[in-house]
This record gives sequence, structure tokens and C-alpha cells, in this order.
Amino acid sequence: MKEYVLLMVSAALVNNVILARFLGLCSFMGVTTRIDTAVGMGMATTFVITVSSMADWAVETYLLQPFGLGYLRTVTFILVIAAAVQFTEMTVKKVSPALFQMLGIYLPLITTNCAVLGVALLLVEGKMSFISSTLFAFASSIGYTLVMVIFAGLRERLALADVPRLFAGPPIGFIVASLLALAFMGFSGMSTN
Amino acid sequence: MVEGFAHVVAVEGGVAWLEPEQTSSCGSCASSSACGAKGIGTTASRLEARRFKLDNYAGLVVGERVVVGIRENALVKASLTAYAIPLAAMLGAGAMAQWAAGSDGITMAAMVAGLVLGLGIARLSAGRLSSRGDLAPRFLRRANVGVVCKIN
Repeated sequence: MKEYVLLMVSAALVNNVILARFLGLCSFMGVTTRIDTAVGMGMATTFVITVSSMADWAVETYLLQPFGLGYLRTVTFILVIAAAVQFTEMTVKKVSPALFQMLGIYLPLITTNCAVLGVALLLVEGKMSFISSTLFAFASSIGYTLVMVIFAGLRERLALADVPRLFAGPPIGFIVASLLALAFMGFSGMSTN
Repeated sequence: MVEGFAHVVAVEGGVAWLEPEQTSSCGSCASSSACGAKGIGTTASRLEARRFKLDNYAGLVVGERVVVGIRENALVKASLTAYAIPLAAMLGAGAMAQWAAGSDGITMAAMVAGLVLGLGIARLSAGRLSSRGDLAPRFLRRANVGVVCKIN
């Protein structure tokens, strides 16, 4: 139990997908102008990362490794991620057309989110069991959502702040992101890995 | 209220059908030349799939550009319903199977079953939200020509 908790804390905070591994920066800058859109994107990404990681683990364990097809890993994972996004889109549409109207805009963006592929490739590198890899993927995506929401909150406050004209908009956003990354570096003191 | 632009594509009796203009989550809408994500979200079929209807109290006509809105917390409620419920059910089922059996195959099967169960619960919950009108977009006003969302 303790190892699972440590694994999740490490994935979410110490090795945060955005601020430590620098994955998913496009959505980090693009979708964080409002807290609610950041939550929407974060939740959709969490769902897709978790589901696609489960599928990627199964493909890696039962297909790529036994048949020595490791060189096809990246291409296969991209295909699995695209299929997971398509599955999510179809499922949300089936579960509730009204939800699909609201959340559908985020789903195609996730296909091109490098965090999804990055987490899947990290799982292979880590040679984890199924439950560990699922928890790792879930915690990584919770870390992604957490940073998105924190950054969206900061940007909402920045929009009201008196920022010098040259720094207004994305420049002050990048500076705040760097300060946030510095703050998250504090978590690296919790682990030697 | 979260606002967005939409075009009226059809009017049937007292109901107007609208297509959302925003094609990516960055809010660039009409500034499509500045949008790196436009290729994946702008196909006609995708916009058509996101077509929605409104009661046409305002006398909208085909081709009009309007501003529609949803409640501030509607997006959060919707994403929690669509994603958090199935995820929680899936992880809960997986944790129980791992604790009881400790086998990767059984855990995987339990998680898939949990996901299906979670989607069923999400469907019921979404139906309840829809019947309360929490997820429905509302007509706010007609958009002025040339008005676009700000990218910031």
C-alpha cells in the first residue's frame, strides 16, 4: 500500500508531467485562461491518459514484448491513444449528447497532447505491474490537472493585475510558469529519485 | 456565464439549430489563422456533430452570428460527471480486485467492468443534470460583425 502511495505522490508532484518533465506545454499555455476550461481539459486528459495507459500496458505486455516488436512501440502507442480518444468521444456522446456538446472540443486536442504518449512511454521504461502502471498514469494526470488549475487561477488574477505593457499576456504567463516550476522543485526534496 | 459564438444553421418552427464557431479550446475562434490546433477541430463533420438547438424566442434567422452562454459551473459539473464518475468506479474496482486476487489479468477485467458500471452511473447522472437544464446553452445576444474572442 505504501509503495502505491509513494508512486502516486512521486508521479503527481515530484516528477510532475508539466513542470518537471515539460510535457503537455501546449495545452498548459493554451487552455489555462479560465479555471473551468482548465478543469474540463484536465479531467478529459486524466480520463484519456488512464484508459490509454491501461490499453498501452496490455499491448506492450501481450503483443510487443512476446513478438519482439519493440521498434513499433511509438507508432503503436500513438494508434492506441487515437483509438482511446475516439472511444472516449463516442462514449461521452452516447452517455449524454448534452455533455458531448460541452466537452467535445477538448477531445481532439488530447490526441496531439504529448503528455499522453510521454506517460505511456514512461510506463514501459519503468517496467511496472498493471495496477502500478494504472496508478502511475492516473497520478501523473492528476498532477497535470492540478498544475493546469493552479496556473489558470494565477492567470485569472494576472488578468486583473497592473502588468507593464511589454509583459502583458503570454510573457508574464511564462514568468509565472517558471516561478510555479521553481515552487514545484521543492517537492523533489521529498524523494531521492 | 461562459460565452461563445455560434452560427444559426437552420430554423424549424420555434427551434433554431446552431453550430458552435469556436473550433479549439484556446478561444481563438475567428482568429483561425493564428490557431495551431485548427486542423483537428474544424472539419465540417465535427462541427455538425456539435450542432445544438435553442428555443427561438429571439426570432433568429439562418446565417446570424450569436453569442450563447452556459453557467459558470456547468463545465466543471459536466466534466466531473463524464470523467470522474467512470474513473472512480474503474479505479475502485481495480483496487478491490488487486487486493482480493493480486493478478494482473483479473485486475484488468475488474477495471473494465468498473469502467462500464461507471459509465452507466454517469449516464443516469447526466440525465438528471440535463432534465434540470444545467447543461443547456442559452441565447444571450446577437454578435456584432467582426467581434472575435481575445487571445490572451
